[in-house]
Amino acid sequence: MAATTSGVSTPAHEQAGPAGRSGALLRQEAWLGWLLLTPVIVVMLGLVVWPFTTAIWIAFTDKAIGREAHWIGLTNFANLIANPRFGLALQHSLVFTVAGLSLKFVLGMGMALVLNQGFRGRNILRAYFLMPWILPGFVAYMTWRWFLDPLQGVLNYALTDLGLIHYPLELLGSATTALPTVIVADTWKSFPFFGLAFLAGLQNIPAELYEAAAVDGATGWQKFRFVTVPGLRHVIIVVLMLGTIFTFNAFEPVYLLTGGGPADATVVYTVLAYETGIVNMRLGESSAVPVMILPILGLYIVALSGLMSRDE
Amino acid sequence: MTRALTAVPSGIVVVVLAIFVSLPLYSMVVTAFKTDKEIYDDFTYMPRQPTLIQFQRVIVNDRFFINIRNSLIVASTTTVLAVSMSVLAAFAVVRLRFHGRVWIARIILFKYLLPTTLLYIPLFLVVNSVGLANTLQSLIFTYLSFSIPFATWLLMGYFRGIPPDLEEQAMIDGCSRVGAMVRVLLPVAAPGVVAAAIFTFTGAWNEFLLALVFINRADLQTVPVKLAGMIVGDQYVWGAIMAGAILASLPVVVLYFLAQRFVVSGIAAGAVKG
Repeated sequence: MAATTSGVSTPAHEQAGPAGRSGALLRQEAWLGWLLLTPVIVVMLGLVVWPFTTAIWIAFTDKAIGREAHWIGLTNFANLIANPRFGLALQHSLVFTVAGLSLKFVLGMGMALVLNQGFRGRNILRAYFLMPWILPGFVAYMTWRWFLDPLQGVLNYALTDLGLIHYPLELLGSATTALPTVIVADTWKSFPFFGLAFLAGLQNIPAELYEAAAVDGATGWQKFRFVTVPGLRHVIIVVLMLGTIFTFNAFEPVYLLTGGGPADATVVYTVLAYETGIVNMRLGESSAVPVMILPILGLYIVALSGLMSRDE
Repeated sequence: MTRALTAVPSGIVVVVLAIFVSLPLYSMVVTAFKTDKEIYDDFTYMPRQPTLIQFQRVIVNDRFFINIRNSLIVASTTTVLAVSMSVLAAFAVVRLRFHGRVWIARIILFKYLLPTTLLYIPLFLVVNSVGLANTLQSLIFTYLSFSIPFATWLLMGYFRGIPPDLEEQAMIDGCSRVGAMVRVLLPVAAPGVVAAAIFTFTGAWNEFLLALVFINRADLQTVPVKLAGMIVGDQYVWGAIMAGAILASLPVVVLYFLAQRFVVSGIAAGAVKG
């Protein structure tokens, strides 16, 4: 939060008017402001606004790699709705998001509550728990793929060795277990982010509130329910909304672990769009996939950016 | 009393999380230091004779340093461009008053939240139409599309937390606006700039989708695409892949631990992707 002393640096929207300042100075400040913003505005126009409008436009065309675009109206959208793979991909994206977020929330909250207690080795443990999040995504998913390998992976070898299984588990290769397994690997990668954000939130809750609750005879659960949860409310909402966006739009975990298989058992909307556009070169139809999702996602992002702007 | 009550459940949580976190990491590290024999034929939990042969394979046979060089060029250029532009933009939005600045801030945040999966097909068309297909420049330019909104958002948070009084004092003493920013604000905001640079670098270093779509020449591939591509080539290549995974992780892990303090406060600002 910026200091609200009156002066040249006070944010404009918090002040009624430019009292005591000359118009020339203000004009100079506006001129400087736009000048400093020019590089970013040019980049955003060229790399965000142009592609963004192009994305919407080509979704209404039959654009393919090496072919000119022709306007075909809503044909791509009609085809998608009629295509059972699109429905399947949306369904998988939703399951991936809801199940993944729930797991990340539980593990992240566990991590934060444990690390919020004072004990020796806490900082080392925090650094260690952060490792999956620090590692590059492609490293994490390729490591999981190898770890789960049915023939030579450590997991199957150890389980066989312990006598727990007699045939290797094809966790990523069987239609029933593939999606849950991808969800677990994705959770492994990003639960530490939830934990770190919750931990930061916990450390902002004043200790006096817990002391007051203790004086009133609150149990551990009551303290959690009536002090911790309300204190974390804002962090929880922002983290869950951020997590929804990044989980729903994830591409790497599915692409690197299963490529959408076996037999479409893990195909999510991002992988479907990639396959249609890059593998099959039908760019128009491929663009229609995210454009179908854009209205809902866009509203969601506007709501979240409102919440995040209020923090300032 | 509370301590005694929570000690046992806490211990269980620590053990469960530690096992969950460790298993894939353990698999990665031991595999990278094993011989092929111990990986494929004669399984061992710990390498009997730890060897660097897998690192040698990925570096010599797979010419991994070419990909590391490509990734370094892309990530460091992206970082320099994105952070310098973002410093100017964040300063303008936070410290200068003019119409439209609130909207600029909103648009930047909106773009930060807008996923690349929505934009890569048109970015691909843009890159082709300006003749940058199959170049490292195509990655540098398109990486600005997500690194600038992110770095600007992060820096706006840092700049807001710094009282403007010092800059005002410097201006009374005869400094220009920009002079006050360079001489007064930036030194104080250095941790924020370092955090923005580290996040930008790792974001570019780790980026997979655009690098997969834009580059199809082996000598221009960045690390993630190269490593992912090794899976198809030869079945008995997991030792080399895990050695490559360790090499690919080293720069980001080292950066995070060097600057852990800044990174954690960056998260606290609620500005980091999950």
